[in-house]
Amino acid sequence: MVQEKITQSSEISKEKIKQLKETAKQVRLHIVKMIHKAQSGHPGGSLSGADIMTALYFDILTVDPRNPRWPDRDRFVLSKGHACPVWYVCLALRGFFPVEELDTLRQFESRLQGHPVSTKTPGVDATTGSLGIGFAQAIGMALEGKWLKKSYKVYALLGDGEMQEGVIWEAAASANKYKLDNLVAIIDNNNLQNDGFTDSIMPIEPLDKKFEAFGWMTKRIDGHNMEQVLSTLREAKAHRGSPFCIIAQTVKGKGVSFMENVRGWHGKPPSDEELAKAIQEIEGGLK
Amino acid sequence: MSRTMERGSATIPVKVELRKTDSPTRKSFSERMVEYGEVDKEFVVFESDIGYSTYSYLFGNKYPDRYYNMGIAELGTMAAAAGFAADGRTVIVSGYGVFLTMRAVEVVRSFICYPHLNVKILSSHGGLTAAIDGVTHQATEDIAYMSTLPEMKVLVPCDTVSTRGAFDIAMRTPGPVFTRLMRDPLWDIYSAEETFVLGGSKILRKGDSITLVSYGDIVFQALEAAEILRSKGIEAEVIDMYSVKPFDAETLLASARKTGAVLVAENHQKRNGLGYEIATFLLKNHPVPFDNLGLDDTFGESGNYFKVIDKYGISARAIVEAAEGLLRKR
Repeated sequence: MVQEKITQSSEISKEKIKQLKETAKQVRLHIVKMIHKAQSGHPGGSLSGADIMTALYFDILTVDPRNPRWPDRDRFVLSKGHACPVWYVCLALRGFFPVEELDTLRQFESRLQGHPVSTKTPGVDATTGSLGIGFAQAIGMALEGKWLKKSYKVYALLGDGEMQEGVIWEAAASANKYKLDNLVAIIDNNNLQNDGFTDSIMPIEPLDKKFEAFGWMTKRIDGHNMEQVLSTLREAKAHRGSPFCIIAQTVKGKGVSFMENVRGWHGKPPSDEELAKAIQEIEGGLK
Repeated sequence: MSRTMERGSATIPVKVELRKTDSPTRKSFSERMVEYGEVDKEFVVFESDIGYSTYSYLFGNKYPDRYYNMGIAELGTMAAAAGFAADGRTVIVSGYGVFLTMRAVEVVRSFICYPHLNVKILSSHGGLTAAIDGVTHQATEDIAYMSTLPEMKVLVPCDTVSTRGAFDIAMRTPGPVFTRLMRDPLWDIYSAEETFVLGGSKILRKGDSITLVSYGDIVFQALEAAEILRSKGIEAEVIDMYSVKPFDAETLLASARKTGAVLVAENHQKRNGLGYEIATFLLKNHPVPFDNLGLDDTFGESGNYFKVIDKYGISARAIVEAAEGLLRKR
């Protein structure tokens, strides 16, 4: 069953890329709107992961919105749990719950908690919000998949600041031991964390060499180039023999000029004026 | 005849027979796990490189494909166990109390208790039963951490049969269950027919002067204390509160009503242990003279188990002293 490589099943059409880019735009619009409505939440890291999440939910993942706990589904873990607005939007647009519910983010008795909760939100496979832990949970999910001899894959989106957590490396080592080729980690490498630039707070590079040394197949891509994102995710999906780590270079706050690469937009909601500008820029495609 | 009983009053018959055992409760738990694994093939075991100490290796040897040794990485182990349990599967995590309940406590709280996963914790070296290993290996705050967590159930068996009972309770109780076990073998008291339930307790000895409540290894000290107290004309009722959370409030209340005085002794910090829990309960429901014994805002130390528990005030001698003091107040 182990193959070095499976031939790509389908070429990526221009139409597909166009569709995904359009969807990613919708995802970004919902992100800024819902965080504005809640007047709380994390826009920067949600926007940086928007293209990756769009590719996952609208091409890569085999999931069933009518049966969120379908045992054979692909799993997804948002290890950088604070970026859940992007996840909630993708789940809503895929039909796991009504899009209108996005307006309830972080509100009293909402299913859309401030950080993801598996027992509340349809489609949320793992409770996360404490950095590093989601990745280690993904290891357990992949182990169970192997144990059950199931063919689903486990995908985890991680932050780069999160690489500073020691448990990341415990998890990375165990994925190698158990040859978890049903596990794909995507690092949203936006180089910004709460207090500043990641490479000044606590340097974590070279991530590719580190994961390689831990026995992972690694690949660096531009996390906002939809062709690269999609083709690499498909490559990772088909990959056998080792876990796969995609290091996606991204821009925190991508798509909204005044948020891009600015420290202060980690966990701050936009004002009315800022929202209007953000919507305009996202709709215009931020030239 | 046991060591402690030899020091007790030999002329008065001992109601509960203490039988020396070679099997520490950590081993009994793992042995039951192996047996259970033959019938229930749906659970797996996670270990962090102390399988030859917790005896979880017995399971690993028999079922290598259901045993995950994750290396010296308790945090990652606990989180991976949560992932394995995410869709409802039962996962047993084996290790030492200090690491599982402190290094990994956040994972236990937010990612096991909160999503109500079927993770069962085999926690060895509870309290000063790891006396010889020193403070870093003595889990003397584990009950406080674990019983404070919503959804978590806490069990502390004292002997082989009750440990097997605790394992079975853990497996048939939905959600997370923490079982505290001992490093060293002490005694057996229960016969194989005894049954144990979540929220249950055992009255080991009837008395009408004072209620002695304990769990785990201190049950034996309470039994010896009761024997000494009898020689002084005090009949103590001894309760093995093996289910620490939830505890058997009904039995406790009935006993407190009868005896009018309650003394809790536990191998744990006084603060936030079962003693605090019971004190609060009695204050609300049936205030009686009360005292509790445990580590008094202090760490333990290395040394012979019996010497250490005596120094830190949870031996039979200390229980007798406290009981007499309590009765003088009444």
